[in-house]
Amino acid sequence: MEELDQSLLDALAARSLERPAAAFNGVVRFDVDVGGRTDSWCLTIVKGVVTVSRKGGEPDCVVTGDVATFDAVLSGKANAMAALLRGALAAQGKFILMTALQRLFLGSPGADGLPTAGYAERQS
Amino acid sequence: MSAAVKILDGNTFVVSDESGDIEASLTDPTGLFSFDTRFLSRWILTIDGQRLNPLSVDDLQYFETRFFLVPGTGTVYIDAKLSVIRQRAVGGGFHEELTVLNHDDEAVDLEIRIEAACDFADLFEVKDALKKQGEYYTTVDDGRLVLGYRRETYVRETWISATEACSVDEAGLTFEAHVEPHEQWSTDLHVAIGRDVKGVTSGSLKYERHAKKARPNMELSLETWLDEAPSLDCDWDPLKRTYHRSLVDLAALRFSPLSLPGHYLPAAGLPWFMTMFGRDSILTSLQALPFASELARTTLMALGVWQGSRRDDFRDEDPGRILHEMRFGEMTAFEERPHSPYYGSVDATPLYVVLLDEYERWTGDTKLVRALEQQARAALAWIDDYADLQGNGYIAYQRRNEESGLENQCWKDSWDSISYRDGRLPGFPRATCELQGYAYDAKVRGARLARVVWKDPAYADRLEKEAADLKRRFNRDFWVKEGEYYAIALEADGSKVDALASNNGHLLWSGIVDKSKATAVARHLMSPAMYSGWGVRTLAEGQGRYNPIGYHVGTIWPFDNSFIAWGLRRYGFKEEAARIAAGILDAAEFFDGRLPEAFGGYERELTKYPVQYPTSCSPQAWSTGAPLLFLRTMLGLEPIGDHLVVDPALPQGIGRLELLDIPGRWGRRDAFGRGRLDLEKPARRGAQLGVIKPEKKQRKGKAAE
Repeated sequence: MEELDQSLLDALAARSLERPAAAFNGVVRFDVDVGGRTDSWCLTIVKGVVTVSRKGGEPDCVVTGDVATFDAVLSGKANAMAALLRGALAAQGKFILMTALQRLFLGSPGADGLPTAGYAERQS
Repeated sequence: MSAAVKILDGNTFVVSDESGDIEASLTDPTGLFSFDTRFLSRWILTIDGQRLNPLSVDDLQYFETRFFLVPGTGTVYIDAKLSVIRQRAVGGGFHEELTVLNHDDEAVDLEIRIEAACDFADLFEVKDALKKQGEYYTTVDDGRLVLGYRRETYVRETWISATEACSVDEAGLTFEAHVEPHEQWSTDLHVAIGRDVKGVTSGSLKYERHAKKARPNMELSLETWLDEAPSLDCDWDPLKRTYHRSLVDLAALRFSPLSLPGHYLPAAGLPWFMTMFGRDSILTSLQALPFASELARTTLMALGVWQGSRRDDFRDEDPGRILHEMRFGEMTAFEERPHSPYYGSVDATPLYVVLLDEYERWTGDTKLVRALEQQARAALAWIDDYADLQGNGYIAYQRRNEESGLENQCWKDSWDSISYRDGRLPGFPRATCELQGYAYDAKVRGARLARVVWKDPAYADRLEKEAADLKRRFNRDFWVKEGEYYAIALEADGSKVDALASNNGHLLWSGIVDKSKATAVARHLMSPAMYSGWGVRTLAEGQGRYNPIGYHVGTIWPFDNSFIAWGLRRYGFKEEAARIAAGILDAAEFFDGRLPEAFGGYERELTKYPVQYPTSCSPQAWSTGAPLLFLRTMLGLEPIGDHLVVDPALPQGIGRLELLDIPGRWGRRDAFGRGRLDLEKPARRGAQLGVIKPEKKQRKGKAAE
């Protein structure tokens, strides 16, 4: 089983620089199940800006799920909140931090099949 | 089913019949619900195989009910030797104290059975009668009955147990009870939400037997909530009752979002809408600001953290957009519905800025305004960057999710609510008029916050300039000259959708109305075509689609009227605002102080009582909030700087109105109002307010004779 593609997390961190997800501080740890093995990723949020590392401080919120779900959520193929409601992801701890993070995930694909997220994109 | 009995605790609630039984069909909203999912669809009590007959129901609290029952379901009351009491309280499921009393001189042996089952329906499925895709399971272990449902990783469970010995099978619990003469037998039944939305197996209940008092799942108990609200005294008794009812119902409608445990915002209504809504939570928070500003605070924080951040067509989401509705059921979980959350509301975003400013004006909480600066700026940017779908500088709406998105994204969201005078329906995108008022108000208020709190005068200048420009254009483009009112909407080609509707009142509230046009607008609102004697109709009589029992095309909405009255006061029409308050407050008396969502637009003289619109949602948050906003407008409460200004204008028939300990940036302040009571006829006090004709007009007529 392939591990989580780190570029998805790096892209998320880059988006947070472009548009900080509000004034949140805290550490969210993604515990990614890769065929029985758990890979942890720490997303440290400082004033909405996210940095990614394999090891971080004490997490305020731990999100668990398998690699396929994380991949789908981070690439805009699945919605994070729906995945949580479905039990495909589970969050423990300060849920508000997960809510802040999900702002940085991509949106569902549009009619053209591509994610419609894009912070610079405008209506006109 | 006989009349529904409803008790609730946050978004967990029970709807049963009058004997406490639940016998739900797929389309029937009875059962135990939590997070938009039914956790119990069958709950039937029998004694020796017989159903029970209700004698009475005591609504002890909004979260607690007591049912008095006797055996036999015949219509003729037989001198029963047995009676049964079921006392039920909601909290993390529900707790039921079942007591059987033997009134006979001989001992009895009884078989007492509770039948239980669950369909785990999503509220959306209950509404639309859809089929389930997962599988059910039932297990009996260690005296506990577990009802379960699984679809992939989605698991929901209900755990049922009792304190007395019983035999448990897959369809229920059976007790063999021996009851001595004039003695009683009892057991506690626990119905716990075993696996819920958080996926956590808790199964713990918040109510224990013999606990001193059942407590709702609220950090703030009902008593504290009532204590902290301003106290009201008035020489017109119905208002006291309505005020009390409003406060209790508002307490019941408090909902704690997952992201902010321990904080509460107003959910939209029971039973269908026990969740966070952008529009409903904001407008109710506005109505309740002088009474419970915590609701506004939580609303602003929760909607702020969920503010849209990307383009997502399925959810009609844009960056900066404030959500419409959040849901937690199975269909949302599998993305068969877009409510995780859904953003298809076009008014919530400007209203978010309006609430933020109004909240600061009352509370002086600049800390929150600073914390939410980014959200407020994003909301203001959304108005210009994403909402201008007609390309003419006005907010308009058109859904991108054609399948399950909302067609009408303003508060009048039914299919025929927006029409031409002759009844024609306009195309999309639609720019309804009140949206432009909200946008104007948001820019003006945003400018104030930018100047006072964010210390960004350049941004403030820009917003003020934009607001002034919007107001100028709006008064040119929406004004129906020959009729002297604002068109309900504008089409993409610039055509005025020229029906005369109550939206004009919201325009007064927003401040977008040119002073020179305000008198004509107020005259329309108070005209016989619009004002029925009870309130202002959503659509004026004489318009093509007018129907006194049409949802948004002729009925009267208490919440709508409370904002219309606020608008009238804003432009100095005190007496008119008081007349609207009088009509709706009179109507409230017919519903024991609990105003329905809407009632018929029939002429008051014709029906003598307000005809309730058939709706399943009661209490409804913004109807509950309406009397609170009327109190504000009747007393003329307005925060100016660090002071609370009081400028009362009471309806005829109220001689004295006192609202004590109004919380705000000033600490606590009292407001007193004295009315023009007719001293020759003190007996009129306590009568209906709105039937007393406005003094001025009557006298004028007589003087002319």
